[in-house]
Amino acid sequence: MVSWLGYGNSAQISIELDDEETRTKVPVFTDEDSKESHCLFYDGESVIGKVDIKLKQEGKKLEHQGIRIEFLGLIEIYYDRGNHYEFVKLDKDLARPGILSESCSFPFEFLKVVKQYETYSGRNVRLRYFLKVTISRRLVDIIHEKSIAVHQLSSYPETNSPLKMEVGIEDCLHIEFEYNRSKYHLNDVIVGKIYFILVRIKIKHMELSIIKRETTGSGPNTYNENEQISRFEIMDGAPVRGESIPIRLFLSAYDLSPTMKDVNKKFSVRYYLNLVLVDEEDRRYFKQQEVTLWRKSPTSLKPENRGVAALENMRT
Amino acid sequence: SSGINAEYGREAFNMQRSLDKGQLMDGLRHATEMLNELRTSILPPKNYYELYMMVTMELTHLNMYMSAEFIKENKIADLYELVQHAGNILPRLYLLITVGVVYIRSEECSRKDILQDLVEMCRGVQHPLRGLFLRNFLLTSTRDVLPDDETQASDGGTIEDSINFILLNFSEMNKLWVRMQHQGHSRDRTKREQERLELKLLVGTNLERLSRLEGVTVDKYEKQILPAVLKQLVNCKDSIAQEYLMDCIIQVFPDEFHLRTLENTFLDTCCHPQSQVNVRNIIISIIGRLSNFAQADPANIPDDIKLFDIFSVKVTQIIQSRSDMPPEDILALQSALIKLALNVYPSETGYVNQVLQDTLSIFQKEESRAKGCSGELSKLLRVPVDHYQDILVVLQLDAYPKLFSFLELGTRRDLCVYIAEHVIETDTLIYSHEQVDMLWSMLECLVAGGPDDTTVDPEDFECEQALVGRLVHQMTSTVPDQQFLILSTCKKHLTAGGDRRIQYTLPSLIFRAIHLCRVYHELREEDEKWEKKVTKILQYINSLLSSLVKAEFWDLSLRLYLQAALVCDTMGISNAETVGYEFMSQAFAIYEEEVSDSKAQLIAISLIVATFEQTRNFSEENHEPLRSQCFRAGSKLLKKPDQCRAVGLCSHLYWSGRNREGEGEPLRNSTKVLECLKKAVRISNQCMEPTVQVQLFVELLNKYVYFLCNGCEEVSESVLSQLIGKIQEDMPGLESGEITRQIVKHFESTLGFVTHRQLLST
Repeated sequence: MVSWLGYGNSAQISIELDDEETRTKVPVFTDEDSKESHCLFYDGESVIGKVDIKLKQEGKKLEHQGIRIEFLGLIEIYYDRGNHYEFVKLDKDLARPGILSESCSFPFEFLKVVKQYETYSGRNVRLRYFLKVTISRRLVDIIHEKSIAVHQLSSYPETNSPLKMEVGIEDCLHIEFEYNRSKYHLNDVIVGKIYFILVRIKIKHMELSIIKRETTGSGPNTYNENEQISRFEIMDGAPVRGESIPIRLFLSAYDLSPTMKDVNKKFSVRYYLNLVLVDEEDRRYFKQQEVTLWRKSPTSLKPENRGVAALENMRT
Repeated sequence: SSGINAEYGREAFNMQRSLDKGQLMDGLRHATEMLNELRTSILPPKNYYELYMMVTMELTHLNMYMSAEFIKENKIADLYELVQHAGNILPRLYLLITVGVVYIRSEECSRKDILQDLVEMCRGVQHPLRGLFLRNFLLTSTRDVLPDDETQASDGGTIEDSINFILLNFSEMNKLWVRMQHQGHSRDRTKREQERLELKLLVGTNLERLSRLEGVTVDKYEKQILPAVLKQLVNCKDSIAQEYLMDCIIQVFPDEFHLRTLENTFLDTCCHPQSQVNVRNIIISIIGRLSNFAQADPANIPDDIKLFDIFSVKVTQIIQSRSDMPPEDILALQSALIKLALNVYPSETGYVNQVLQDTLSIFQKEESRAKGCSGELSKLLRVPVDHYQDILVVLQLDAYPKLFSFLELGTRRDLCVYIAEHVIETDTLIYSHEQVDMLWSMLECLVAGGPDDTTVDPEDFECEQALVGRLVHQMTSTVPDQQFLILSTCKKHLTAGGDRRIQYTLPSLIFRAIHLCRVYHELREEDEKWEKKVTKILQYINSLLSSLVKAEFWDLSLRLYLQAALVCDTMGISNAETVGYEFMSQAFAIYEEEVSDSKAQLIAISLIVATFEQTRNFSEENHEPLRSQCFRAGSKLLKKPDQCRAVGLCSHLYWSGRNREGEGEPLRNSTKVLECLKKAVRISNQCMEPTVQVQLFVELLNKYVYFLCNGCEEVSESVLSQLIGKIQEDMPGLESGEITRQIVKHFESTLGFVTHRQLLST
């Protein structure tokens, strides 16, 4: 990315990572609807590459106060502009103050960088990692940034019990629902069932939605932003007592992040499964259950026959 | 609905265009849009069916595309997941099924797992109409991929998987179908039931599919399929479902299967108190089915299966356990049992009798159960008559006549008429007096009088009694003694019928008795007691005649007395004259005391004279008074023309009449003959009416001619010419008319005869 401030300048900076061609790219929302592709890194991976500085007009010299590169991890809260929280900051000098008389490149390496958080782009908050090259000059610095994406991998949770609960409205509706786990990885399948114990209302349909809750700030300045990620119909029509309705929801169909709790004491992202029953008068009966989402190592994805996910929990 | 069709058509077109370009994702998107049309709630079943047919037709394109493109690239598993991302459940499941079938064909995944997955996932659609069609789509789509062979490799699935798959689909569909009944307003009930009936085939297709699996053996049917299906039926407590599906079972599975499961499974379910099923039609249906099977080849029914006993026991149980069963249903069931017995065990009348006996017991135990079922009961009772075509077999069924008392009088009468007509039409001979006794007892309402007699239409009554009279002629034994017993039995029953009946019924008996006399007479060489027996029959006849006299049927008894007298005269038994004289004198007594109408008197005296003229065996001692009596009676008639004719008739008694002394020779008493004729002429001269007078002259001329031709010497030519002259003189004065024309014709013919025989010398 070229900083427009630097554009008028006589030098153009670009950053090229060592394995840029082969490294996995992930799409990242930078705005409401613009997407960019960023190289993907994991915690502890080294970030190695080179910085190319190209002079606009060959022969015209560029005087500078030093050239340096930084590796930054930043949390930005949109309604609190200007307040950026840096949780990582590494820097390296690439050149002492002097004069550049021709285009040149500088290799750099940040070894085994700690990247403890996952890249995130939400309604009110953004967490990003980027490299920043600065050519310091007397009046205006020439700056160039390059974002990278970071995924935070988790291992299979030690305890992962099914979510099971009986809920109801007295003398009206009584159901028992069951989701096969409480923690799902992002490519997981939610398998479960809804068992109808008592039905005295005329149900039209039932859906299972995923709700994302983004919390920023703390204390009295806490902001919650709820977003419905999916609308997934799991039942059409009115069941009678004793019916058992299967659930199978593929999380890979949606754009989800892992559950994040109290990231750098600045924000949290939590996910809820919302079971909604709609009756013929369009009244909605719902029950929310939090589920934990986690990111699984990509190498172990794709088990056999994901389509026919395990049914054992559904059978009555 | 045209708007809906347009929407579906556009999406179907877009889907195909995308597929043609190889853009599967777009194709799926349009397919989903197209399938969304099936989410409608506004269409009645018929229109929904049309839409369903069009949409699923389009899905075959998708199926073909995926079969071609994906199997070779091994991407079908991904696709199976991908289609499950669809937000709405109905399109999602239609797509899942479509892909699932391709997945099964690809053999990448266990067939059993996919089938199970599909049928389980369909639970998500609980809307009855949409669910029924979705599951129908599941059933028809998987038609060709269900494993149907025990020996198939484990990953290809086994017949068990297919059975479980269909059974689950069946019970889910049935639940949805039954649920329709309980939705919506109660006032729409009829419409809803109509709609349900339109959808029944969807449910029944499951059973039909099961029946077409090669691997379904009678064992599997007995142990697995039938119990599961019946359990579902009993539990659903829905009579429409129970009735239709029971019938469906009967129709789609082979007879051998039914035979095996009949007693312990199938019928037990019908007996189940919880099943509200209309057992009547079901039992009738299965009886009909198995009875045809047995009729096709008796070897079809193994010896150890007592078909009749099984049904008989169960039907009785069912009737007993259901006190609310309407009588017509009871009878329909019994009727089916009878047909079974008749068709499958034609020689075992005991079975039929057992059914009748069971029916009788039911009605006897609780008479209210027989109420209002005359029509059905009568139909039931006609079955043995029609089947056996032999009343003698029907008479062996001792419970048969006992059921008559449960018929209303009118119906009972109709049935009796039916039976009587049947006997006559088939010309069945009833040859023992016991059978006769039973038959008359059975037909009691025709034969015996009752207080309700007057309610019967007189014309019908006459027809019925005529029928009874005809029936007497079917009661015939070739053994004379037996025949006499038959007659005695008949007499016992028929004389009890009251005055209104005997005029129709007794004449038949009398003629049968007369016939029997002749039979004995012919056998006189062989049977030394024949005289005694004939005498007994004559007494029998006399007693019947007394009944008729007592009932004041004068004309009839007079004629029958004469008939009896004639028979008596030919018998040649020792007391024939006494009895004959008695009969003759009875006839005379009736004539004198009871016949008052002058026309009837003439007819009666003519009959008496004619009968008497035929007798041979009166001694002169009796012959003379009878002769004189005839003459006297004739000349005492009121009207002159009647007197003239009667007296003229009496002339024959003196000419061709015979007494015993003459040993067969006629009297030939010319003097007396002439005396009679002269008296007749004299009487006719006193006639005031010229036409009648001339007519009488012509008639008397004929008498003279007759006697002249037969050698009566006393008749002279002069008498003849005198009479002819007199006629010719008076003739022109007669008023012209039809009668005159006849008289002229008669006279001319007579003259022609006289000329021809040259009776006059001139």
